[in-house]
Amino acid sequence: MARVRAVLAALWTAIRRDMKSIGSFTSNNFFLVSVVFLALKDPEAFVSLNFLIGMVLFFPLSTDPLRKVPRVRLAIWPLTPREHQLLRILSPWLNPVTWLLAILALRGSVTLGLWALVAGLFMIGFVVPALPWSAKKGVWRRLPNFPGPLNQLIRKNLREILSTLDFYTALLVSGAALIFRISGRMPREALFPLTLLVMLALSTNAQSLFGLDGEGGLSRYRLLPIRGWQILAAKDAAFLLAALVLTLALAPLGGLAAALVALAQGHYASVNHRHEETRWRFSTATSFGGSIFQLILMAMAASATINFSPLILVPCLAAYVWSTWWFGRALERRPL
Amino acid sequence: MISCHELTKRFGAFTAVDRLTLDVAPGAICAFLGPNGAGKSTTVKMLTGLLAPSSGEAAVCGLKLTADPLALKRRIGVLPEDLGLFDDLTVEEHLELTGRIYGLSREATHSRTAQLLRALNLTEGRDTFAGHCSHGMRKKTAFAMALLPNPEVLFLDEPFEAIDPVTSKIMRDLLVAVAARGVTVFLTSHILPVVERIAHQLVIIRGGKMVWNSSAGQLPGSLEELYFNLAESPVTEELEWLGSERS
Repeated sequence: MARVRAVLAALWTAIRRDMKSIGSFTSNNFFLVSVVFLALKDPEAFVSLNFLIGMVLFFPLSTDPLRKVPRVRLAIWPLTPREHQLLRILSPWLNPVTWLLAILALRGSVTLGLWALVAGLFMIGFVVPALPWSAKKGVWRRLPNFPGPLNQLIRKNLREILSTLDFYTALLVSGAALIFRISGRMPREALFPLTLLVMLALSTNAQSLFGLDGEGGLSRYRLLPIRGWQILAAKDAAFLLAALVLTLALAPLGGLAAALVALAQGHYASVNHRHEETRWRFSTATSFGGSIFQLILMAMAASATINFSPLILVPCLAAYVWSTWWFGRALERRPL
Repeated sequence: MISCHELTKRFGAFTAVDRLTLDVAPGAICAFLGPNGAGKSTTVKMLTGLLAPSSGEAAVCGLKLTADPLALKRRIGVLPEDLGLFDDLTVEEHLELTGRIYGLSREATHSRTAQLLRALNLTEGRDTFAGHCSHGMRKKTAFAMALLPNPEVLFLDEPFEAIDPVTSKIMRDLLVAVAARGVTVFLTSHILPVVERIAHQLVIIRGGKMVWNSSAGQLPGSLEELYFNLAESPVTEELEWLGSERS
């Protein structure tokens, strides 16, 4: 039993550390805007936005805690079959989601939908990672190729965006909007706020473009014989592509304008205040002021493009080009 | 091909590399040896433009380090200490990226990639993401990336460590072959028998200072003996509890 306790204690330490990274959503623009709504005495908007955050967070939260111990290590340790079974039974209870579901079940509020959700989470968190082929495959192996020498960099950057929860929050909004649009129930006035909401979910990533590159990636950037603006352009191409796809069913030009100014502003933090991000978590912003400034710029650009003229894209593009050139130079002078 | 004069790197009060003066001829394999923390990787980082020297001068391929970093990067191949791989790219994608970034055509990149994958026994793992590769595979990928653009100078930071014997031999033979064709190789390593077999020039550094620089033929005895005398002698700690009665 002492051995099981020791393993569970180590797992608990690892899970507690993990929980800190779960809290990253509090530094995300999406959460920031929900707080602004609360300050403006609109608790419904606050709850709605946080409900979306909660839904997206549910998936990384429902992973099998025992996966934190390498399979080889579990096999090497002198544990009896009974101790292995005990670990299998007890370890899920280190996960707060297990407790949440248990409480809901005890209160008799388990509907068919909830059981379906539990089954889905079990599949994602417990069964799929245990399959021998899943570990080395990578979720986003198949991505399109892009023309030019930066092809593989763009694909890598796209995979990075696809492993942040920001993208899935935006996808949730975009998917819901698409359903409303197809069913013909979306009023034209909803295009701007929904486009902005999608871009809001994505925008923090523009402030943390190098967050998932790791030390190895950063040293490779220093070795590659390309200009700083090319490194940034490869990052931005992936971001713009994600923005365009997610706003396609809404107002793509407005989304593009918001994406361009988000990047133009976000280059500053990405290059000067690079910080490490965690996969399958929300991107984090570096400063409250920077986020507010970015959000105002995005709202202005998207609103003007949707409501006045697509020509607003021209100054947005100019600001983006200048920012890429300027911060690309900074990247060459003072590498990450 | 590589030349440095009084090259120094300071981190605050700590001097990592102290007035290093060194020349490496074209086509030579120079082994840069020393204990952990001696300043080997710092020197490689300075010579490849990853780290700015505090003082002194250095030139690689006739180019001063700070004059045109981009031109320098195009002419060298580097296996960095941390391997410099992206977790989100597969082994093959890393090689394709390298070829295209160094200006090779799609066809040339493709054919060189296929050859390197075969030569380094990477064909089977070509579709594995670097983040999921074993350390040996990651090292081979980074080594292939250094070779692919056909550089004039190769900088390899600990290429033989954590590599299986077969790959180690393949890498050794490749290095000897490219050096014979005029490529200069500057490598750091702790594996003295391998180094002794292939290096033309041996440099030993300790505490940031160069304590030995000679051609391989000028070695007084075995390299191991010289290394233990100049760089670091082994300290034996008696772990008397090992093998004793278990509680």
